[in-house]
This record gives sequence, C-alpha cells and structure tokens, in this order.
Amino acid sequence: MTEKKFTTMEQMESDSKILFDRACDMCIDTWQTRAQDQKNHCKFGEDGVCCRICSMGPCRITPKAPKGICGADAHAIAGRNYLRTVVGGAAAHSDHGREIAHVLYEAARNGSYQIKDEEKCIKVAKEFGIETEGRDIYDIAHDLAYAGLNEYGKPFGTLKFVERATEERQQLWKKLGITPRAVDRECTEAMHMTHMGNTADATTLVRAANRAGLSDGWGGSMMGTEFSDILFGTPHPMETEANLGVLSKDMVNIVVHGHDPAMSEMVVITAEMPEFVNRARELGAKGINVVGICCTANEVAMRHGIPMVGNFLQQENAVLTGAVEVIVADVQCIFPALGPLSKCFHTKFITTSPKARIPDSDFIEFTASSAEESARNIVSIAVENYVNRKKDNLFIPEHKETAVVGYSCEAIIKELDGVTNTQVDLTGTYKPLIECIKSGVLRGAVGVVGCNNPRVRPDYSHIEIMKKMLKNDIIVVVTGCSAQAAAKAGLMSKEAKELCGDGLKRVCDLVGIPPVLHMGSCVDISRILMLITDVAKQWGINTTELPIVGCAPEWMSEKAVSIANYVISTGIDTYLGIEPQVKGSTEIMDLITERSRQDLGAGYIIEMDPEKLGDAMIAGIEAKRDALNI
Amino acid sequence: MVKLFDRVFKGSDEMYALAEKALAEVSERFDDSQAVAYPSTAYFLGVLYAMTGRKNATLGELKESMTWIKSQMTRNKRLHDAFTSGVATACSAEVIEACKYIGNTAPYEAPYLGHVSDAEVRELGVPLVTGDIPGFVVIIGAAPSDEKAVEIIKSYQTKSVFVFLVGDICKQAERAGVKMGFPVRVYPCGDKLPSVCHVVSVAVRSAMIFGNIQAGDYDGIRDYTFKRINAAVNAYEPVDDMTVACGAGAISYGWPVVTNDDNDMWRVPKSLIVQPDTDKFVETAIEARGMKLKITNIDIPVAFSSAFEGEVIRKADMQLEANGARIDCFELVRAKEASEIEDHKIELIGKDFDAFETGGAINIAMIADVTGKRMQSDFEPVFERKFHAWLNCIEGVMHTGQRDMIRIRINKETYENGFRAKHFGEVLYAKLKSEFESVVDKCQITIITDPELVKQGRLEANKIYEKRDARLKSLTDETAKEFYSCLMCQSFSPTHVCIVTPERLGLCGAVSWLDAKATYELDPNGPCRLVEKNDVIDEDKGIWQSINEVVHRDSQGTLDRVSLYSIMEDPMTSCGCFECICGIEPYSNGVVIVNREHIPMTPLGMTFSEMASMTGGGVQTPGFMGHGKHFIASKKFMRADGGIKRIVWMPKALKDQVAEKLNATAKELYDIDNFTDMIGDDTITESPDELLTYLTEKNHPVLELEPLI
Repeated sequence: MTEKKFTTMEQMESDSKILFDRACDMCIDTWQTRAQDQKNHCKFGEDGVCCRICSMGPCRITPKAPKGICGADAHAIAGRNYLRTVVGGAAAHSDHGREIAHVLYEAARNGSYQIKDEEKCIKVAKEFGIETEGRDIYDIAHDLAYAGLNEYGKPFGTLKFVERATEERQQLWKKLGITPRAVDRECTEAMHMTHMGNTADATTLVRAANRAGLSDGWGGSMMGTEFSDILFGTPHPMETEANLGVLSKDMVNIVVHGHDPAMSEMVVITAEMPEFVNRARELGAKGINVVGICCTANEVAMRHGIPMVGNFLQQENAVLTGAVEVIVADVQCIFPALGPLSKCFHTKFITTSPKARIPDSDFIEFTASSAEESARNIVSIAVENYVNRKKDNLFIPEHKETAVVGYSCEAIIKELDGVTNTQVDLTGTYKPLIECIKSGVLRGAVGVVGCNNPRVRPDYSHIEIMKKMLKNDIIVVVTGCSAQAAAKAGLMSKEAKELCGDGLKRVCDLVGIPPVLHMGSCVDISRILMLITDVAKQWGINTTELPIVGCAPEWMSEKAVSIANYVISTGIDTYLGIEPQVKGSTEIMDLITERSRQDLGAGYIIEMDPEKLGDAMIAGIEAKRDALNI
Repeated sequence: MVKLFDRVFKGSDEMYALAEKALAEVSERFDDSQAVAYPSTAYFLGVLYAMTGRKNATLGELKESMTWIKSQMTRNKRLHDAFTSGVATACSAEVIEACKYIGNTAPYEAPYLGHVSDAEVRELGVPLVTGDIPGFVVIIGAAPSDEKAVEIIKSYQTKSVFVFLVGDICKQAERAGVKMGFPVRVYPCGDKLPSVCHVVSVAVRSAMIFGNIQAGDYDGIRDYTFKRINAAVNAYEPVDDMTVACGAGAISYGWPVVTNDDNDMWRVPKSLIVQPDTDKFVETAIEARGMKLKITNIDIPVAFSSAFEGEVIRKADMQLEANGARIDCFELVRAKEASEIEDHKIELIGKDFDAFETGGAINIAMIADVTGKRMQSDFEPVFERKFHAWLNCIEGVMHTGQRDMIRIRINKETYENGFRAKHFGEVLYAKLKSEFESVVDKCQITIITDPELVKQGRLEANKIYEKRDARLKSLTDETAKEFYSCLMCQSFSPTHVCIVTPERLGLCGAVSWLDAKATYELDPNGPCRLVEKNDVIDEDKGIWQSINEVVHRDSQGTLDRVSLYSIMEDPMTSCGCFECICGIEPYSNGVVIVNREHIPMTPLGMTFSEMASMTGGGVQTPGFMGHGKHFIASKKFMRADGGIKRIVWMPKALKDQVAEKLNATAKELYDIDNFTDMIGDDTITESPDELLTYLTEKNHPVLELEPLI
C-alpha cells in the first residue's frame, strides 16, 4: 500500500506564483500586487473608529480627539460600524435566499425550474402550516415560496424557523430581545439605528448585530438552503475534484462563479446538452467542462459532482491559466478585477445579476423566466470562444485532489444510520455521533468556515487548523471557501483519515466518510445550525454545553461577520483568525468576547496565529468536555 | 460516571501489575536464560511477536518486553492512548500466559485448552475465506445460567461462528455437557481473563500467516485484523476495568464488544455496544461486525452448521452406521435431462432408519440427479465431493470418504430428534441448489437402503467412476486449453494468486481444475477466473506470458512471473492455508514434504509451522512452496527441478496417503517400483545425516541428480 501524497501548501503556492508571474509579464495586476499597494491599511478603519455616517466628518477617534463632532465616542462609532457590517452580510445572504424563494415561486412542472425534493417541500410547507394533503406539489411549493417571501417583510411576529431552535435558545433570545422579526426589518431597523443621531449605546448596537445575524442564519440563509434543496435536490455524498488542475486542456472550460445555484444549475444542465457538446467537438474540443469557484462551486459540486477549480482568492488564477472560455458570475465575492484581466485573454467575463454589474463584463441577465435562454446563450458563447484560445499560451497547474462533497444533515444522518445496530438503536438520529463524542472517541466537532484572506497566508490557516483538529480526533464540518481549501489539500478525500488520530480515523473507517465533511456553501451554515441544534436536543443538553466550536480563520466579508453573530447567538463559541474591525473600542471588544459569553453563553475568541488559534479551540472543546464530565 | 478511557487505563495498569507478579514468581524458579515458548508455533509469543517483532525466546527477553509494554500505556485523553493501552493489556496477558508455559508444556487441564497451535490457525484459513466460518466470537465471563451458556454457544454454532470461551463460561459449558474442542469450534481458552490473549494470538498470527504482514508492523497488523478478521467479543456483567482494557485492545484490532453491563459503560457505535438483553448478544454481535452468514434453511430436525463438521461420533453414541468398507454403499451425482427430473423430489427406496436396530449397520446409496442449462458432466464429481462436507455439517452425523468408500455414522440423539433417511435428501437438495444455483436448475434425490438395490447400484456407479477416472487421466496440462486462477484467499492474502491446472490443484487441496472450472461457470467474475494459456515462454518450467500477465494483474502488481513447475525459480506463491509444504533438504539435494497435521521436527531442522512461516502471505520464496496433497503424485510436481525424484522425506502418515498414486507416477516416469519405500519418513529418521545414509542404502534416484542450488 503506497501512502497517499496530499498536495502541499508549497505546491499550491508554487502554482500560484507561476500564474502570478504570467500576470506580471502581461503587466496586469492581481490581488497580490494590489494587496501590496494597499499595505499599511488605515489604522482608524482597522480599529473601527472612523465615522463616515454624516458629512460633518469623517471623524476619527484618537487619544486627543476621543469623540466625534456629535459626541459619539469610540464605542458608539465602532459599534455602529460593526452593526452596519453585520447588516451588509445579513442582507447579502438573505437576499440570496429571497432570490431562491422567487425561483421556487416560479417553479412549474414544465418550467425552467422544477421541484426535485418533494419530501422536503412537504416537510417545510407543514412547518409553515401550509395544507399539503392531496395537493399538487407545485401548488404547495407556490404557497411555501409565498410564505417564505412573507418572512422578509411580515409586519408582526418573529421568523418561523426560530421555532426550530432549542427551547433554551428561544427563551434566551426572547429575554435579550434578539429574536429576529422580519428579515428586511432587521436590516432596515439596524440601518436606522446607526443613522446619525440614533443609537450610541454599545450594548444595544451589539444586540442588534446579534439579531440581524439571527435573521440571516435562522431566516434568509436557512430559507436559501431549504428552498435550494427543494428545487435542486438535497445534497448527498458524491465524489468530485478540486484545484486548478480540474481545468481541461482540451475541453471548453466554463467557470461558474458566485453564490446562487439558480444560474449555475442551469448552466451545468445546458452544458450537458448534446447540441452544445457536439458543437464543441466540431470546433476541436473534447467536450465541455464546467467547473466552479466560490460558493457556486459548492452548490453544483454537492448536487452534480462538478469540480471545484478553487476558492475566493483563486478566481484570477483560473483566468490566468488561459484555458477559460467563459467565467460567468452571479452575486457576491466577484472581483471587479476579472473585467480587465479577462481582456488579456480570450476569456469572456459574463455577469448575470443586476445586483452585481461589473465593468468590462458582458451582461446577460438571468431571471427565472429567461433562465433557459440565458444559459443557452452563455454556453454557446463559451463553445464558440474555444477557437480563440491560445493553445500555446496555456498554463494549467496539474495539482488536484479528490473530495467527497454533499453532506447535508439528511446525508449525515443516513451515514450515521449505517453504524447503528438494529438490535439496540433507532435510526434517523445523531445518536451515533453523540455516543462517539461522549465516550471520547471523538473529542468534539468544529465548523471551519469563511473566506480566504491576503492578510494572512491564504488557505494556510484553514488547512493547518483542520489538520490539527483531525490529529486530535475532532471532526470538522466545512462550508464555503474553507471547504475548497480543505478539498484542495485532500482533506475531504476518504484517504484523509490517515491524517487523523485513531478515534476520528476509526469513525471515518466505520462510517465511510472523510474526516472533513462538506456541508455546502456559506448560506448552508444554516445546515450547521440545524446539526448543532438537533445534536443538542437529542443529547438533552444546551447548545452552549456542546464540545463544538466554530472557526473562521481567514474571514474577510461582511457575510462572515453576520455568520459569526448568528453562530455565537446560537450558543457556539467562534474562533476568529482575523480581528473584527472594532478594536478601537474596549467596550465592543468586551461585548463580543467576554460579555457575549456571559449573556449568550458563547462569544468570539480572537487569535491571529493559526497555531495558537487551533490550540485554543482544542482547549475550548476540552473545557466543555470537563464541564460535562465526559 | 468513570470515563471510558480512565477505565481502560486503570484496567491496563492492573493487567500489567499481574504480568509483573507472574514474572516475579517464575523468576524465583528459573533464571533469565530459561526458554520461553508456546507449543507448536513458529511465531513465538504470537501477540508480542506480531506487535513488536521481538521473539521473547527467554525469560530475560520477556522481562525486557515489559519496558515496551509500559511504553505503550500512555495516558493522553485520546483514543490512540486507549488503543495502545488496550493492546498493551493483551500483551501483558500474554506475558502472564507465557509464564504458565515456562517449564510446563501443558499447563492447562480440561476443559481448558490454552494456546492454539499454528496448524489449527492454518486450518481455519479455507473455511474463513469461503465464509463457511463467518467469524469468531470470544465470550467472556459467566452467562446468567448454565442453560443460557449452552444457548449462546449453540446459537453461534448453528451460525458456524467459531466460539472462544474465557472465564466462568467454560465451566458452565462443561457442566452443561457442551462438546468442546477445536474440531467442534468451541474453544475454552482458560479460566482467567489473561487467557483471552490466545484468541488475539490466533488473529495476529493470521495476519502474519495469510497476510504476510511482518512481525513488528504494529499498524499493519491492526489494519489487517480490522479489515479481514471478523471477530466480536461478548462480555457478561460484571465487566471489570481489566476486561474493559482488553475490550479496548479488541476494538483496536477491529472487533466490537457487546456487553449487558451498563455500569460506567460508554456506548461507541459498532465498537462498544450495550445490549441489556443477553438473548440478543448473538444477533447484536453478528450485526456489529457485519459477519456474513451463509444461510441455508434446511428442513431437518437437527442443526446444520459447519461448526459440526469436526464432530466425532463414537461407537457407543451411534444409532446407525453405513460403512462402505464392509457393506455396499455409494454416493453419486448424475447429470440428467430436464424432463427426467422432478425438482425437490426426495425418494426413499427401502426401509427407513426406524427399521434398524440401535447400533446396527445399514446399506445406503445417495443419488442426486441434477439438470440445468449450464450443467456439464464434468461437474458431477465436483458436486459429489461436496457431499462429505455437507453431510458432516448435520449435527450428530459423521461422514468420511467418497464414492463407494464412505462411512456414515448417525448418533442416537440426532435419531431421537427425528432424523431419518429423507433428511439426507433435504440436505443434499438444499445445498446443491444453493451453492450451485446458477448451474443446477432442478434436482431430485434418491436414497436407497435396500441392500440388493444398493448392490446393483454400486456396480453401475463403479462404471461411472471408472469413466470419470479415465477422463481425469486424459486431462493434462498439455491437453487443457485453459487454466483457472483462484483468488478465493485474497480476502485474507490480498496478493496471492493460485493457478489451478488439471495436474496441479490449488494449494489448499480444496480446488481442483474441475472445481475451478465449475466455480468459474457459476460466476465468471467470482473467485475463479479463466486463464488463457498463450505465448509459452518455457514449457518445461511452466511459464506462459499470458499467465504472467494474469498473475501480475491479480497480485496487484507485486508479482511479475510465475513458474508452475518449479519451486526454485519464481515459484507459485502461497496464501497460508496450504495442505503441505515442501522445502529443500540440502544434504541430499532433495525436498522434504510436510503436511499440516504433522507437528514434530523434520530433517530440515524445522517443523511444519516454522517452514510455513517462511512462505505464505502471497510472496514467492524460492526453495519453499505450499501445495495440495494431491499435487505430490503429479507429473508436474517440481518437474523443472527434477520432478518427484526429488522427494526424500515425508511423514509416514502422508506417505501412506499418497503412496499408491505416487508409486504409479514413479513407475510411469522412471520405471521405479515402490518408490515410496525409498523415501524417508519420521519413523525412519528426523536427522539429515541418517536420512542421507538411508537414501544411499535405498539407492534413491535423487542422488544422481544435479544439485538444486
């Protein structure tokens, strides 16, 4: 038996360096050059004490000028900035969820979009009190979508999915006044609160951030996940590949980029149509190769096994290979830099959402009604563009790893059913996982999520922290760009069990899973919420007592801050490898760390050194175990 | 609640302390140079040898091993530490057991059996790979009652699971009159927990014997046992810390533990299972380890299981006997046209068992007529030879021999339970249909007990046997268009490939060319595959390019060449379950052949176990080769190295068994009469010098041959 060699950080970085050099040769900038140019970031911005809310300023807090013109101090300014960051993220996620709800509303038996998971449609519809008996599934779906859309703007009451949380959380949220109401209301109200001359009380601002975060996690994101499953199918494990090596040197390469599965699903299906495949062959290509970047990659990987070409900071690398016919994006995390960069190659950069219009891109609007036509248009452009590829100017790095993706909660339970014993156990629960944790075979679980970030050595923190967890028998669940970092390093392959301690290795062997479980895109952190919640319920303890922590080692986007808020509000300590931009206020720092732990039972732990961050996570998990006397 | 790992740590400390105490006690009587060994093994103290590579041949070395054991008892809060402490507990247990064997080769008295010999481990090879034994179970502690003890043992037995007993259950079983011993697959190890190490030893020796895992490859051994040894533990309450620690070792090796003790017990899926209802232990354990049972529902009044295969029925317990050596008896399978057969018709011609006196003799003929689109007359003897194994699986029935030289005994209990002649028919029908389902479409059985009819039938049968023998004689490696590979043992020996030819049966002795052909016809993608005989490289040595390619592919690329007729150059590999092994005897330039059953020394200065440990596990070891008994008389037996002329020594029992055929071959090839008289055996000598003298006296033809090396 030969031992598997996993792609190393150095190999990945060496590939990136070659691509970076290609960019330099063409005198085109990439994130590396721009990060260099942006070095020595504005200190006031970093500390969150620059207030640009009104035009009396900008006001910046210094020891000599401890207050803004209106009298707002560092705590008020940093708190308002923090809340606005959360709102930015919550709005993005929730609006993504809203788009999916609209697609669900438009779904029709003969339309562009159909219902793939009827069982889930009925289950969720029942939660919303929608009549399901004897009704056409599309009528149910229509009503469900309508009810979902109503969650965004309902005038009274709180979000439906909050009822899924543990009783303890629901009561606590009520007590603290952070039970999320309508999704849009939380965002709007937060923007109002942070308007000039409104909330200056740090605690209130942080609570509002918690609530806005909860409206994302238990609202917009959760709807995004559930409705996507209903439309496109609930993910189940399938094998795929990851890293730049998935680009094909002799096929038409289409990169789908962004977040919303509505566009990417349609492109994937269209690219399989014989008319396009045959046309590609006519033009000398061996076929059409659709690959993904960012969360879109997660969505199509876990439903179709589409390869993942990379994560956030690899979007320019994909184009720099010279092998991409089309890079098509919808929303979020799309570098405007792709515009000018694509012009240096034959690559067509196509944007599809009115919410993400970018210069130097071709805009082909994607709507539920025009989806098929738009997808055909995009695939056709890609195929026809193949002849323009400069075959003597390709550089496709060879590195790629296999990965098993698609561990939805439903899939995890199904895998766990496989290790139950019908003589003593019931199926359909997390009990096997709970038993592994209680007995100490697994020490706990970690959700590693979030972006990658040039502030640190990109992907390194993700990969190193995960490896440390595996070695210490801590099972890892991942979403988003973290998932792709794991996949590129081979950590989502079943062979990765060799990197684990004996406990996790045995679990992987018996259950037949990789030690790092792919749970989807960043909206799918809602899946992690449900996992945590149901584990707590079946264990009979509070979420705060679970030896489970969250980690965003390289986070950068506002969405990440929103996520962090709903995760801590759900009772899970969250370990951050990048500082939130609030440290100019001692009070806010306290509120999101220590005070948060007192009030919510969970808060942030911030540590820039990935080695120490990993150690802190293990210590945190062991402390929870000690408290439970397990 | 005491934490699981803490219990493991405490238990392993306790076992370690007992080991130290045992060593201290023997040290009072023996000095450090005192030899330490278990009987009949080439693997020293099996568990310690497998895990460390250390031989521990003396008391002094054994004491030194305690340092290693201690080093494994680390105390971090990780499963790794619980695992290594668990394995260390098994090692400590082995130290305790080994001390008992110092200066005493048989420290255990009935019912306890202690150490399992290598020969016994090897005997398990074939039934384990065929699934006839789906796995092992170790039952520790006392069942709630003697009756419950019998129940659980019987329940495993009827499922053909091999049962090891440790602790109080041994006495319970003895009191309740359970037949015990290796042949009936109920093995009482010892009265105390440390005797559990003998079971671990069976498993880790399997890894070395069949899997070619090197001694000292700690993770390799565990990986092998985890993937390939289907074992489980049942532990009755109260389960103390030492048992928990042993359990951690078991789980480390991949074997789940099922217990009814809920005190301070932690559940781990598929590994540590609390089953409060002891009546469900069997089902729970079988499911937890995923043992695949060969289920044959046969409508007979007694149990049917391979666990009863080794059962011996004494004269005093006998209701009836059919003895082909004294009166007419025979067994026959005939291929028929579909229209001639009524499926599942079972006819008795003559009197049933009731009409005979207790202890009496009976004529019996069993004829199975089968039909099927893919049935060939070549399969008749293949099926017929299975009768022996099938009939032996009936509880209380003993069967030996084949054709018209059979002997069948039925014990009183089985008779009293209602077992009658037609039940033989039910067994044969069910097994023919289930094991050969893709060939046998319809099958009917005729049982004859009428002496006159049996006599007539026997004459007819003899004509058929003769015809078959003629056909077999005409079947040679030269005339056969194709050979077969047998990969059955790859579940244990992942790189071993047997090439089965008409003149060379599988090394286990269980797969002839016709068997392989039938197996292939049953399932072309099954364990036996067609091997074409193309592009001869060296006909004398038996090397074909097409066979090399098959061997390369099916050995996962570990082998490139195989010579079918040489033991010196790229010999065929061995899995570990070979019937015999031959090895070069340098003084005479010949080879010594030893069968598995022969325990004592050979002129090579090695026992069967020691010779066998040189090869096996799918590696080529020039100069040594495992093979079947029937291969000895083959014209192809090491033909390229000089052929059967090279045979200089065999145990007497084996020599007698093969004499007739071997003499015939020698006569045909070299015109030598009574060749076996020239061959040495254990009644003549075990010394190489004396052997050479003997060979010279007898003018053995080997002395004229070129040196082998």
